[in-house]
Amino acid sequence: MTTLLDLGTPLAERAVQARKLVIDMAASPRGCHLGGSLSVLDILIAALHRASLDDGTQVVLSKGHAAAGLYAALHVSGILPENPAPLYGQLGHPYTGHPGPKVPGVLFPTGSLGHGVPYAAGWALAQRLGGRGGLGIAVAGDGELQEGLVWETCQVAAAQQLGNFVLVVDRNGGQNDGLVQDISPLPNLAARFAAFGFDTAEVDGHDLTALCALLSDDRSSARRPLAVIADTVKGKGVPAVEGKAGSHYVTIDAARAAKWKRMIR
Amino acid sequence: MTLSGRDAYRDELTRLAATDPAVLCLEADLGGKGHPFQSAHPDRFFNLGIAEGAMIDMATGLAVAGYKPFVSTFAPFAALRAAESLKLTLGYLAAGVTVVAPYAGVSGAWFGTTHHCLEDFAVLRSIPGVTIAAPYGEADMRAVIREAVRSGRPHYIRTGRNAAYTSLGREGAELPPVNWEHPGDAGATCLVSVGEEGTRLALSARELRPESAHAHLTYLDHDHLASAAADLSRRHSRFVVVEEHRREGGVAEALALLLPQCEVTGVNAGHGWPVLGGDHHEVMAQLGLDLPAVLSALEPLDPTRV
Repeated sequence: MTTLLDLGTPLAERAVQARKLVIDMAASPRGCHLGGSLSVLDILIAALHRASLDDGTQVVLSKGHAAAGLYAALHVSGILPENPAPLYGQLGHPYTGHPGPKVPGVLFPTGSLGHGVPYAAGWALAQRLGGRGGLGIAVAGDGELQEGLVWETCQVAAAQQLGNFVLVVDRNGGQNDGLVQDISPLPNLAARFAAFGFDTAEVDGHDLTALCALLSDDRSSARRPLAVIADTVKGKGVPAVEGKAGSHYVTIDAARAAKWKRMIR
Repeated sequence: MTLSGRDAYRDELTRLAATDPAVLCLEADLGGKGHPFQSAHPDRFFNLGIAEGAMIDMATGLAVAGYKPFVSTFAPFAALRAAESLKLTLGYLAAGVTVVAPYAGVSGAWFGTTHHCLEDFAVLRSIPGVTIAAPYGEADMRAVIREAVRSGRPHYIRTGRNAAYTSLGREGAELPPVNWEHPGDAGATCLVSVGEEGTRLALSARELRPESAHAHLTYLDHDHLASAAADLSRRHSRFVVVEEHRREGGVAEALALLLPQCEVTGVNAGHGWPVLGGDHHEVMAQLGLDLPAVLSALEPLDPTRV
């Protein structure tokens, strides 16, 4: 099912602008992980909005291959001053295909899947130790959940009662070689997290209002980590690629980029 | 009574944490009951369970947030299972995480190959930016831990199981690149000892070959070895490196490259897999790492066999 983007709010306008930047990066000589960058964009914008409260919340994009989406979200959220699109993948600039700590707003290197989840859990533990109310928010892909390190961390986070650790799953159903369902399915996902001792929520991952509501909670006294399973569409917002497995990594020309940017919905 | 390496680590870190609230202690279920840090600072001690990768990556999050996490688990699980985490955390990110790895070499002895680690120097020395130490004796370990806390730099610290070793004497509080246990005369063959058992063997060999020199190295990363090599070559030109590690990626190999004008040979764990039981020394002997091997290496090379 393809829902319409949540439009008409300042955050929604950011999301539209960010999608245009991602398309620009797909039109660079390097191309980019387009499908996953577009599926995760609304999650990132909502999470960065929570982080803008300056309460110590940190957002870690664990599915680092969606770097183009992260750079775009950081820019439209005002964290990354320069426009990363013309510099993406270029010599002398830090906007690599997977993000690293030279990028303003990025504290951890991600892209080797699984690591961003414990980075965020460690950040959450640090907030708790410091008596702050900030969250450690990890944004992972659903395919990424096939990595053992994710579940190792869920076990630890639940045991440590890290209520300020939030794992948002960008459930777009795709991974590099095809569909999660065909390669290594993850049925009953919410029940899995609940069995680990997490609070769980399922949400339309393109509904910025719902995402912001979930991430705005004060979890400083929570004792169960939170798993947010966000249903998303690969390539979201660009009709030509929405829901298509072939959108995983895309390189396009300038004319097509201009056309796609006009058609964002 | 002198303490073993890991007991000295625990005691020194516990002591330092009393005056540095940023110091944290993380374990992965191998810290034992009655950990002194847990008793003294329960709010800053975390047994995260059997989860080495998660432990190191969570330590990364803590370090980036401003803490000084010290994580400890057996060397094979730290250096090999969690190798990618070490590359990203200690190397690429240069996060202030210290990894303390007991059970290095074959100190796990009869526990078997799963609990041995003869490859950690090779892994860690190939990751730029990591300070690598293999202290010998309680004083060495305490000094290394103090420096790790002070500097906040990424460290990998190797130690053994429960054996305790009498510390070598040294001048000053800081560890020098080379601790000249016995400088020896010009022209003498110089034993270069690495780690606990490498140093024990070198000391034993020197008792039987008192004409030999002996230099002990505590820090083993490239930068420290480069400084050590310069110091070593000012006094001697023939070296026998004794280390409880594979030949590949070990200290002898590194010194040979740093000292092309010198003769550097090594006594090490070679290429074998110890499949039989025995105590620590017996398992080392299965690998050809024993006193006769060191004494043999001290003999001048037979030019007819070169």
